[in-house]
Amino acid sequence: MLIWVSALHCEAKPVIDYYRLKKSHDDSAFDLYRGDDMLCIISGVGKIASAAACAWIAARHDHEASIAWINLGVAGSGQHAIGTAFSLNQVVDADGGQRFYPVPCAGWLLPGSACLTLSKPSEDYCEDTLFDMEASGFIYSALRFSSAELTQGIKIVSDNREHKTGKNRQQVSDLIHHNIEAIDQQASALIALNHEVAGLAVNPESWQQLIALAHFSQTQKNKLRVLWRYLMNRDTNAETVLQKLRGCSSAATIISTLELLSYQDSEGL
Amino acid sequence: MVSSVYIESEIRDHPRARKLLERLHNLPVIEIEHYGEVFNPRAQNFRLQKKNPAIIIARKNDGHVLAAPEGYGLGGSHNYYFSHMLNCIYDCRYCFLQGMYQSAHQILFINYEDFGVRMEQVAAKHQGEAVWFYSGYDCDSLANEPMTEFTDHFIPLVASIDNAWMELRTKSTQVRSMLKLQPCERVVTAFSFTDPVSHAKLEHGVPSIAKRVDAMRRLIEAGWTVGLRFDPVVYHRDYQAAFIKLLDEIFTTVDPQKLHSVSLGSFRLTRDHFRKLVRIYPEEPLFAQKMDLDNGIISYPLEREREMIEYCEAQLMKHIPHQSYHPCEWHG
Repeated sequence: MLIWVSALHCEAKPVIDYYRLKKSHDDSAFDLYRGDDMLCIISGVGKIASAAACAWIAARHDHEASIAWINLGVAGSGQHAIGTAFSLNQVVDADGGQRFYPVPCAGWLLPGSACLTLSKPSEDYCEDTLFDMEASGFIYSALRFSSAELTQGIKIVSDNREHKTGKNRQQVSDLIHHNIEAIDQQASALIALNHEVAGLAVNPESWQQLIALAHFSQTQKNKLRVLWRYLMNRDTNAETVLQKLRGCSSAATIISTLELLSYQDSEGL
Repeated sequence: MVSSVYIESEIRDHPRARKLLERLHNLPVIEIEHYGEVFNPRAQNFRLQKKNPAIIIARKNDGHVLAAPEGYGLGGSHNYYFSHMLNCIYDCRYCFLQGMYQSAHQILFINYEDFGVRMEQVAAKHQGEAVWFYSGYDCDSLANEPMTEFTDHFIPLVASIDNAWMELRTKSTQVRSMLKLQPCERVVTAFSFTDPVSHAKLEHGVPSIAKRVDAMRRLIEAGWTVGLRFDPVVYHRDYQAAFIKLLDEIFTTVDPQKLHSVSLGSFRLTRDHFRKLVRIYPEEPLFAQKMDLDNGIISYPLEREREMIEYCEAQLMKHIPHQSYHPCEWHG
C-alpha cells in the first residue's frame, strides 16, 4: 500500500488524475482518494494536520503488511527555479529543531534536498534549503508506522525570491503535473521496496487457518510464526502443509512437524 | 551500490574527509551534526538499507580502543579491538554485523590520529608484553581500503610500537596498498573463508575464493604475515566434501608453513542477535536449521557441532603444522 499525503487538493490532483484514484465517500475526517493498492489523503495545511492525517489513515489500514508514504507538495526556495522537483533527504522542524532523514534510494531521479518545516508562512528564504509547512509533521507521524526507507517527501518549488505561484491552485497543479513522470518513477521504486517488505509477512488467511488447528500458548505462537514465515517464504504450498497438519493431534505435534519440514528444507542452505 | 554520503558538518574540511568527498563526488552529500542522527534511529529497515547503504563520514569521539570480548583473539594476554569503520560492504548472512546496529549504512571514522594516540597509550600500559589490536571486529579491515587508506596510516603506526601486534581481518582482495608498504611481521592479515557452498549461498558480494587465495599469495610473496580463519563453519548436507574442496583450493597456492595462525569455529550467535537476524531474513535457511541454546548462545546441537569441528580439524591438520592452529573455544 502506497499512501500519498498532500496538504491541498491542488497538490494531490496530478497524482489523483495520473493514477485515476476515486474519491471515497465512506470517510469524513479527511478527503480520501482510493486506487489499486494506493491512497491519497488531503491533510489540510500545516504539520499538525499532516501528522493527524497520517495517524488517521495508518490506523484505518493497520491490517496492511507494510505501508509506504510520500508527502507530495510545493515548497519555497531561495535559490531554485519554479517547478524544480526534489526528493527530501533531510527534514528539519523549525520549531523544535528535530531532524529526520528519509533514506535516499540509489538510482532515484529527483535530486535530494533538505527541507525546513515552518509553522507559519514565510518569504524569508535565507537558507540553502526548501521551506514547507507539513514535512516534519508528516514524517514524525509516518515513521511510527513505517521505516525511513518507506517514508519519502517530494517537493516542487512554487515560490522563490522572484516568483510566487504557491497561492494559485491551477499553477500549483501544473507545476506538479509537469514532474509527474519523475514522481511516478520514484513512486514505482518505493512500491517495489514496499512489496519486498510486505512479501515477507505471514499471509493472514493461512495464519488464521494454522492457529485454528489447535490451542497454542503465546510462546508456541511465536515459534509457530517463525516456522510458518520461513516455510511460506520458501515457496512451500500453504494448503499442502495445512492438510498435513490437520492430522496432528496437538499444538506440540504441529510445531514439531513444521520444525522437521524446516530442517529438511534448510539442509542444503 | 552506495546511495548517498552523510558527513558531519564539523569535519567537512578535514583533509581525509575532503579526499573522500572528492572520491564520492557523484553521490548526493547530506550534512549532519552527528552520525548518530542517521545511524541510531529505530525506524530503519536494515534489510532494505543493506541493498543501497549510505556512507557516513564521521569523527569518533571516544572508545577508540576497547578490550576485546573474552575468547576473542589468538591466545594473547592483552587483546583489544578498534573500529575505523562500522558495518561492512559485504552481505554475509551469518555475520553478527547483520543487525548489530539499527542501520546498514557504513560509518567511516576519519580521525585516525586519535585512534593512534590511544593505541600507543594502551601498548605503553603493557610495556614488554605483546598487545594485540584487532581491527576487523565491526567491519572488514581492508574492504574499503582504496577509500579509507587505513593501512597507510595504521601499519607504520603499529610498526613503530615495539610490543604492538595488529590483526587485519578480511574477506577482500584489497591488498594493493599493503604491497607498497614495508612488510611488518607484527601485522597479521587474516583471511576468512567458508566452504564453496556456504560462500555461494551466504556470502553475498564477497570476492571469489580463488581471488582471495591469490591475494593471500601476493601478500606472502611480498613478505607479509598472513592467517586463515575458518569461522564460521556452516552446516549443510555437503559440508564435508565442500570443506575438503576449500582446503585444496587454498593449499595448492598457499604454503602452510608460511601461515602465522589458523583458527576454526562453528556458526554461533548470541540469542538476541540470532532472533534479530531471523526477523530480518525470515526466509534464510541458515536460521531454519536445527540449533540449540547454550549459555545465551545459539549454535548447532553439541553432537553436530562436535562432529563438524572434529571432521574439519582432521582435514585441516593434514595441511598445517599443529602449532599454528587456534580453535575458537566458546563453550563455557
